[in-house]
Amino acid sequence: MATENSTAVKDFKDYKQATPTKKKVVKVVLFIITFIMFLLTMFPFFIVIINSAKSSLEIITEPILMPENWGNLIKNVVEIWNKPSLRYPSSVLTSVIITVISLLTISLFSSMAAWVLVRTKTKTSTFIFMLFIIGLIIPFQVVMFPLVALFRNIYLATGIKMLRTYYGMIFAYIGFGTPLSVFLFHGFIKSVPMALEEAATIDGCSKPRVFFNMIVPVLKPIFVTVLILNGIWIWNDFLLPSLILGVGQEIQTIPLAIRAFAGSFVKKWDLIMTTVLMAAIPVIIGFLFGQKHIIKGMVAGTIK
Amino acid sequence: MNRYTKNKIVFWLFVAPALIAFIVVVIIPFFMGIYYSMTDWSAIAGEETTFIGLANYKEMFSDVAFRYSFLRTFLFTLFSVISVNIVSLMLALLVTRESKFRNIFRAGFFVPNLIGGLVLGYIWQFIFKSIVPSMGTVFNIPALENLLILAEPNLTLLGVIMAFTWQYAGYIMMIYVAALMNVPQDLVEASQIDGANFWNRLRNIIVPMIAPAFTVTTFLTLVNSFKQFDIIIALTSGGPATLYGDQVVNSTELLAVHIYNVAFTYNRMAEGQARAIIFFLVLSIVSLAQVYYNKKKEVEM
Amino acid sequence: MSKTRVIAVLIAMVLVFTIFSGCAKEEKSVVIYQNKVEINEQLTAFAAVYEAETGVKVIVKTAGGDTPYAENLKAEFQSDRQPEIFVVEGMGGYNTWKSKLAPYEGDEWIDLTALEFVVDGKVYGFPVAVEAWGMAYNVELLEKAGVDPATLTSQDAYAAAFAKIDGMKDELGIDSAVAMAAGPDMAWVTGLHNFNGYLSAGLELGDTAILDKLNKGEADVDRLTEYADWVELLFMYADEAVLLTGNYDAQVGQFATQKSVFIHQGNWIDPWLMDYLTDETMFDMAYAPHASVKGEHDAIFIGAPSFYVLNNESENLDEARAFLNYMATNAAGHNYMVNEAKMIPAFTNVTLIPNSPLSANVVKWLAKGKAGSYTWLQNDMPDGFGMGTIAPVYEIYAKGDITKAEFIAQLVDKIEALK
Repeated sequence: MATENSTAVKDFKDYKQATPTKKKVVKVVLFIITFIMFLLTMFPFFIVIINSAKSSLEIITEPILMPENWGNLIKNVVEIWNKPSLRYPSSVLTSVIITVISLLTISLFSSMAAWVLVRTKTKTSTFIFMLFIIGLIIPFQVVMFPLVALFRNIYLATGIKMLRTYYGMIFAYIGFGTPLSVFLFHGFIKSVPMALEEAATIDGCSKPRVFFNMIVPVLKPIFVTVLILNGIWIWNDFLLPSLILGVGQEIQTIPLAIRAFAGSFVKKWDLIMTTVLMAAIPVIIGFLFGQKHIIKGMVAGTIK
Repeated sequence: MNRYTKNKIVFWLFVAPALIAFIVVVIIPFFMGIYYSMTDWSAIAGEETTFIGLANYKEMFSDVAFRYSFLRTFLFTLFSVISVNIVSLMLALLVTRESKFRNIFRAGFFVPNLIGGLVLGYIWQFIFKSIVPSMGTVFNIPALENLLILAEPNLTLLGVIMAFTWQYAGYIMMIYVAALMNVPQDLVEASQIDGANFWNRLRNIIVPMIAPAFTVTTFLTLVNSFKQFDIIIALTSGGPATLYGDQVVNSTELLAVHIYNVAFTYNRMAEGQARAIIFFLVLSIVSLAQVYYNKKKEVEM
Repeated sequence: MSKTRVIAVLIAMVLVFTIFSGCAKEEKSVVIYQNKVEINEQLTAFAAVYEAETGVKVIVKTAGGDTPYAENLKAEFQSDRQPEIFVVEGMGGYNTWKSKLAPYEGDEWIDLTALEFVVDGKVYGFPVAVEAWGMAYNVELLEKAGVDPATLTSQDAYAAAFAKIDGMKDELGIDSAVAMAAGPDMAWVTGLHNFNGYLSAGLELGDTAILDKLNKGEADVDRLTEYADWVELLFMYADEAVLLTGNYDAQVGQFATQKSVFIHQGNWIDPWLMDYLTDETMFDMAYAPHASVKGEHDAIFIGAPSFYVLNNESENLDEARAFLNYMATNAAGHNYMVNEAKMIPAFTNVTLIPNSPLSANVVKWLAKGKAGSYTWLQNDMPDGFGMGTIAPVYEIYAKGDITKAEFIAQLVDKIEALK
């Protein structure tokens, strides 16, 4: 501590000597550093964009140069859009359906569960919560092979098709998504005062009504967090859908389509780059639109 | 119906949807997996499985490729945790100081996180294979022109770490930003008036105040790098090969990829499952130890 | 009020799980689950033609390339709609799937081919195509280098030719004599195709002696030593970047841009070449004999890369067999195989000649009969052996991490581990 004090004294002198111009210089330098980091972060996107506008031969010979003809971009996009093996429009639709329904169900079910788990103080309740926490640390790799076998057995026993179907896929996402979501809601609800709920219950409101009318609105910030975290994961997920939906099937999400296309031995980089661009654009647009809420929600969720 | 049973019904109604899905999708397969790991399970429907005890586990520990994969996974995890945390903390500090373009920068640094590992792997494969040599040609740097990043085991691992950092730093940055905004501004100002320079402030005020964030970010990066799969299959396919002792091994075949390959490429499902169980045990122990250690540190600060 | 809320939630839940399950109307249809990504679109189009003709719907599903087909096939069999037709590549696949296979009997196409997949006298596999690989060369460049392809019949002749070409790099405008790839993406080129030289080069068509030994865990060290000379030769005269990290595009691209005289690849690169090269940039090419081991050679590797097999649990087997028979015996099927998918059919009744450069040359080799072909045996090794176990050995040898003697020792080790 003593040495730190002495350096503080020295710094104090420095601070006294610091003139407004020096402060300005520091500010500009920091801005430049930030800007350089920003450019570095954007560089891969830049590469993707310029190479999406190249012809097959151009991309082999001059990957770093600006494209000769930006018109190629349109040509490539049209080609990808119409490619029967990619089925871009239907793959986007599939991804949207699976992501949206999974998100709605995950956040609804998890918040419901978290609420009663927080408000019910019984052994069962604690046990169930612990079970979810254990689920947080079970890596996907441990359950992925048996899961497929189980889904097959469910079909044999009940006739419910869990593999190669939308609802099987969504069901799997609910199962994998709930532990983290319950955990996040649980943490948030703990900090919500009980007074309001108690008053409402005394007034004769039923529990479900209390939840939907009073708790859900309070949970808004954490809902955003849960939606974003799960949304990014589900939209980009590859391994789980590759097992549940399979590669090259009728129901195909964007990552599956990319894998089916880019994974072929023949790597047409110009078209792969275009595909990458077209896969990223919906998400980036969504992000830019909701940027304010998203950042706020992420920040709110992570403090807890 | 009395109040007590009514509450009980509501409890189960509210818990059931999440719990059922969770149990069916995670818990039951988890126990099935433990059982399968002790059989000769082939995953082909209709084929008999017989119980063979711990044979799969014995097989695994005598497999050099598995031991090597463990080593590389630890190495990758260690350097990823360091690299992601340094970069993201730096970004967070820069972004919180910047006033005019704060939102643009923050969004920009976050955007790579929206890109899935698979897509990202293809982008970086292209950068390492085509862009880097091509930059060497354009700027006339022969060393760069002939640099085959994905042919050298350690450079390739470094490349995967870079790609992972690019993807993940923006997300971790958000957590740091949140923590930094919690640092009371008057404390910072007071120290400024006291004349503390930037490094002093970082060491004595900022770091202790964001210690809880460290616990979270370290945990997240640790778990996510340990489980890395998508980036690797798209970027390196596990290669390049190298010698370990006198055995030929794949230098970026980290555990998640290794498990997948044993099960599918070599068609040894049960052995892959046994390796996955060990993977789970090690990950749990390492991550719990980390959280325990960091929590202790938090208190000390 | 509270009860309606609960009911509403329940209904919402039920809806979510049933909304997509409504449409389960089953018609007679044939699902074919295949592994050639590059013919996916053409096969789908042919299936549509077939449906228009016969009214039977054929659904084409594809998983291949980097995505392990075997793995997806397993998942496919766990799903509730199993395919009627799927693909095995050889004995490895047969052994995995034999409990699921139904034999073909009396199908018309069986008499039209010599390449059907037979186990214990029963026909299990419909040959998807005839493929060949070997040392393809750029006719004009080789001539310019003053090498007569007719003399390339032994390792020594190749060594002399490579050395000569290597000395004329600037004159010929090439980067290296041969386009060869041994990187992580190209495990199939080394671990399967190149290694097949050890298994069958110089042997009579159908001779499986070396393969049988390998499957028993025995290595023929003398033969491996001769073979290693060939590998050394190819690696020595390859372009380093292409050899070590090159993917398919880099390797084929080197040949296509006339930066190499030879390429170690199969006629499946035709569609790629025709895509990239225009009428003006197209050049003549052909295959030279393949000298994987010592001795004189006048053959290349010709075989069926994979076979359509029947799932014995399917109820629509007759429809499935009819579809394949149509492909083999009908003009529309021939047109699909030759003109659309750019394949060489394995059937003697096909009169169409491929218009793609290497396939046209393969037809000439095929015409030589038994003498012009070495057997494809790489798919009859145990699962994962070629691409998983030995391909990395080639890779580190290419990098120079191990010597030729160590390379041989490693291969012997890996083979003996199969015991």
